[in-house]
Amino acid sequence: MKRYLIALCCALLALPAVAQEDALRDLPGYVDFGEMNSIYGEPRVNISIGGALLGFVSALASNEEPEAAAIFSKLKGVRISVYATGGDTAAALGQVNRVKNLLGAAQWSPVVQVNEEGEQVQIFMKMDGEVMDGLTLMAVDSEEAVFINVIGQIDPSELAHVMDRFKVKVNGDLEIN
Amino acid sequence: MTERENKTTDMKEERINALLDGELDNEQAERLKRDATSDQDLARSIIEAYQLQRAMEGIRVERAPASLRRKLRRIPRQQRPAWLQPAWVTAYAVVPLLVIAVALMQPREMRPRQPTAAEVAQARQDLAVAFAYIDQVSTRASGEIQSELAGEITDAVAGSVFRTVQDQKIL
Repeated sequence: MKRYLIALCCALLALPAVAQEDALRDLPGYVDFGEMNSIYGEPRVNISIGGALLGFVSALASNEEPEAAAIFSKLKGVRISVYATGGDTAAALGQVNRVKNLLGAAQWSPVVQVNEEGEQVQIFMKMDGEVMDGLTLMAVDSEEAVFINVIGQIDPSELAHVMDRFKVKVNGDLEIN
Repeated sequence: MTERENKTTDMKEERINALLDGELDNEQAERLKRDATSDQDLARSIIEAYQLQRAMEGIRVERAPASLRRKLRRIPRQQRPAWLQPAWVTAYAVVPLLVIAVALMQPREMRPRQPTAAEVAQARQDLAVAFAYIDQVSTRASGEIQSELAGEITDAVAGSVFRTVQDQKIL
């Protein structure tokens, strides 16, 4: 009985994580990348941050890192999934093509499209007049498949200043300073 | 699960429980935080533990109604099935579950919940990782474009030179 109650509690507590992702789905810049866990297993990196948490991060960073805080304040959601392809890129490339077609139909503008043997890089932007609703990046190679969806406004030129401060390396082991 | 894996899991749980109970000093807490940045399972366990703790803190324990208590006392203990003994335990168990279910079903904007410092710190690190991947993809794309353009320009220049040489009948 006790185990049943604990299991039920844990199942109910999973609802907020699902609710956060559900809240992002209604935003115009949201992109559904589909499911690939059944093909590549658990993703190496799986991040989904909603607007509320971004607001707190922005507030906390406003004193020490105003440039980063300015970037965070304009975002409504950040989602990223990274899968280890282990040389098997067929499924990931198929998924990229599927999403690419969906984005085209949803009036996302292609910014960069690189197609090579066994590799792809696709970057799309969703604009609403002068305002950006979202940014989507997909990159597949023999090592990993990266799917990124940034909901809200992001200026790539501002990123460079922030990246220098974070000093994050994502090749091989993930190191964060 | 092997015995070694069980021991590792137990140690992780002990550290997380100590963190929640405020029993870790600053150095130990920092060490746990550093471990969590490289161990996604550990980071996820810490976040889930915080969420569970907050949910349990929000539970209101309600006494069973007097009429129910009177009725339960009248039932001879031998006649009650084992899983209903004592009956008030079941009542206590159902009420907090109902409270949690109702609370979680409320629209997000109605829930007066603020993320903890650990959640915000984790979100900051997650953002750093996300931006690093954005930078990596962008750099890769620009590299591909540059090499493609360089090739195109090289071909254009070489072609132009060749045509000039031909026109001038230099060779």
